[in-house]
Amino acid sequence: MKKEKPFYVGWQEEMPKEHKSTVKKFIILIFIALPILAFSIIYAQRGFNNHQFELGKSTELTGIYHSSPVPVLEVLKTEMKPDLSNYVMLVGYGKLGAEGIMEDIEALKGDLDGKRVTLKGTMIYGDGKAVLELTKKTNSLITIHKDVIYPIVANKILSSNFDNVVGEIVDPKCYFGVMKPGEGKIHKSCATRCISGGIPPVFKTRNFQNENEYFILLGEKGEKINRQILDKIAEKVSISGRTEFLNGWNYLYINPETIKLIEE
Amino acid sequence: MSLNYTAVGWNKQKKQYVKILWLGILAFLIVFAALQFLLHPNISVETLIIRWSAITAFILLHIILVIGPLCRLNDRYLPLLYNRRHLGVSMFLIAAIHGVFGTIQFHALGDVNPIVSIFTSNQNYLEISNFPFQILGFCALIIFFLMAISSHDFWLKNLSPKFWKAMHMLVYVAYGLIILHVATGALQYETHLIYWIILIAGFLLVASLHIVSGIKERGNLRKTYQLQEEGFYEVCSLSDLEENCGKSVFINAENIAIFKYNGKVSAVNNICKHQMGPIGEGKIIDDCITCPWHGYQYMPENGQSPPPFKEELSTYNVRLLKDKIWVNPSPLPEGTLVKAAKIDI
Ligand code: HEM
Ligand code: FES
Repeated sequence: MKKEKPFYVGWQEEMPKEHKSTVKKFIILIFIALPILAFSIIYAQRGFNNHQFELGKSTELTGIYHSSPVPVLEVLKTEMKPDLSNYVMLVGYGKLGAEGIMEDIEALKGDLDGKRVTLKGTMIYGDGKAVLELTKKTNSLITIHKDVIYPIVANKILSSNFDNVVGEIVDPKCYFGVMKPGEGKIHKSCATRCISGGIPPVFKTRNFQNENEYFILLGEKGEKINRQILDKIAEKVSISGRTEFLNGWNYLYINPETIKLIEE
Repeated sequence: MSLNYTAVGWNKQKKQYVKILWLGILAFLIVFAALQFLLHPNISVETLIIRWSAITAFILLHIILVIGPLCRLNDRYLPLLYNRRHLGVSMFLIAAIHGVFGTIQFHALGDVNPIVSIFTSNQNYLEISNFPFQILGFCALIIFFLMAISSHDFWLKNLSPKFWKAMHMLVYVAYGLIILHVATGALQYETHLIYWIILIAGFLLVASLHIVSGIKERGNLRKTYQLQEEGFYEVCSLSDLEENCGKSVFINAENIAIFKYNGKVSAVNNICKHQMGPIGEGKIIDDCITCPWHGYQYMPENGQSPPPFKEELSTYNVRLLKDKIWVNPSPLPEGTLVKAAKIDI
């Protein structure tokens, strides 16, 4: 009689060698394909910027607190790394702005605008810009220093015709370090959350030298427009408006309805 | 078979299966992380975890989907099928890492509930390149979750095999959702051509194996048999059947498995009561027809599972005329005893 065809069911202890060799080949093929696949996928990635988020490391910064147009702490230049701006934008814990926290602190301790304070938080920085996350919320305030009130530097008008400039609206917390990538389609929903949560929207564009320029977006009268621009975030857009330089940051005053999506 | 909700039995093969599976998953993690840190040292750990788990789960999903048709084409792949539920559950666990990390990273600690945020943070349903891709991933993860928690035979039994099978066919829906999740999500940011090539090649592999195995199956179904007297059809010669082996025939919309064993021929329904496996491709072990997929057993003459199990298949009347096998395709009630046709030597 002919030899019976090998048959195997998983509950049997021993596998016939025909099955074993087929399965083995299948597994070996997969184990060869995987590293090749991993390499191609990783090699072709766009890559990530070198922005930093010092997660788990707490930093104390002392400087003048400016509550508007957006919360910024003006630190001594000598206290900052030389390649970083000494005007540190303040943001909240998670996907929230710093305003709520600062208002809560002020409700307890009185007005802090223009005063010298020491704040504790987590540093976020990249491309010359610095951001401080008030990780401990209202416990982020360490000291209010009692000394003279310093005058605020006058606004500098940058340009009055910021006309149809092309760029992308990002949330500065993620973009300057918390997330990789912190821009573009993948990050869109997070940026929407952050800006909806009160983190100032930042318009990222390129200047003639092909360097990045950043503008904090506000309404034409300086009001917050976070809610009005949610559907324009993380897209290629063109923006027109009036610009100003204040407290170490560029501001762009716009009518949110004039932001144009650019089809690619 | 009648199962209480007990832990699955572990034999040597199953242990090895799970060992190789997790060894592979771990090895891939190490290779993936090493290459990322080497080629992209600025990557964040969160992004590393999100991408590793996404890609690992997606690869496992492809492996899961090709095993079925491979087994239809060549029964030597069957050992891969037997423990496939471990692949499925592992895939779900890793996809869940991706989904949970993605949800935390992109939606948590904000001004609305993270799950609500998945559905509301992007509402460009009409644009392909801006489509809210995370919703697609979320729906697929729910499907994988339902499949994973119902993967035990306890649920198979309680949900009825038909319902269970229908639910597990949702894996194809989930696969489609994931392809769209990747195409409208990651690939709108990571735009290198190689990603499209990999995505499409994976899809073509899965699709073509299903088509080829489907054509093979159809070939069997297409065969027509000449009607003969008293409702019996001539299906094949005795010599077409190997000892202790079966053959599947499709007559008048009845899917029938014929077995030759111990000088006898019997016919039972070809659809296993477990997960509708092809009984006719099984074999007689310990005097029982044994399903090739997971080894459910049935006695050839009455279609009943040996006690204490309670599964029953329909049986069919069989006749032998010289060396030709004749079958009556009207099914008898499940578990009906039919005297096997004796082979005269
Ligand atoms: C709640 C459910 C899910 C969410 C929120 C989600 C979110 C995301 C996000 C944000 C990305 C882009 C990440 C990046 O590239 O940095 C992504 C990519 C991806 N997702 Fe999902 N996803 C979910 C479910 C799934 C499921 C169930 C799978 C199944 C395997 C999956 C497979 C993938 C793949 C293959 C990629 C592309 C590779 C990558 O870029 O990481 N996702 N997902
Ligand atoms: S289908 Fe699972 S044993 Fe038959």
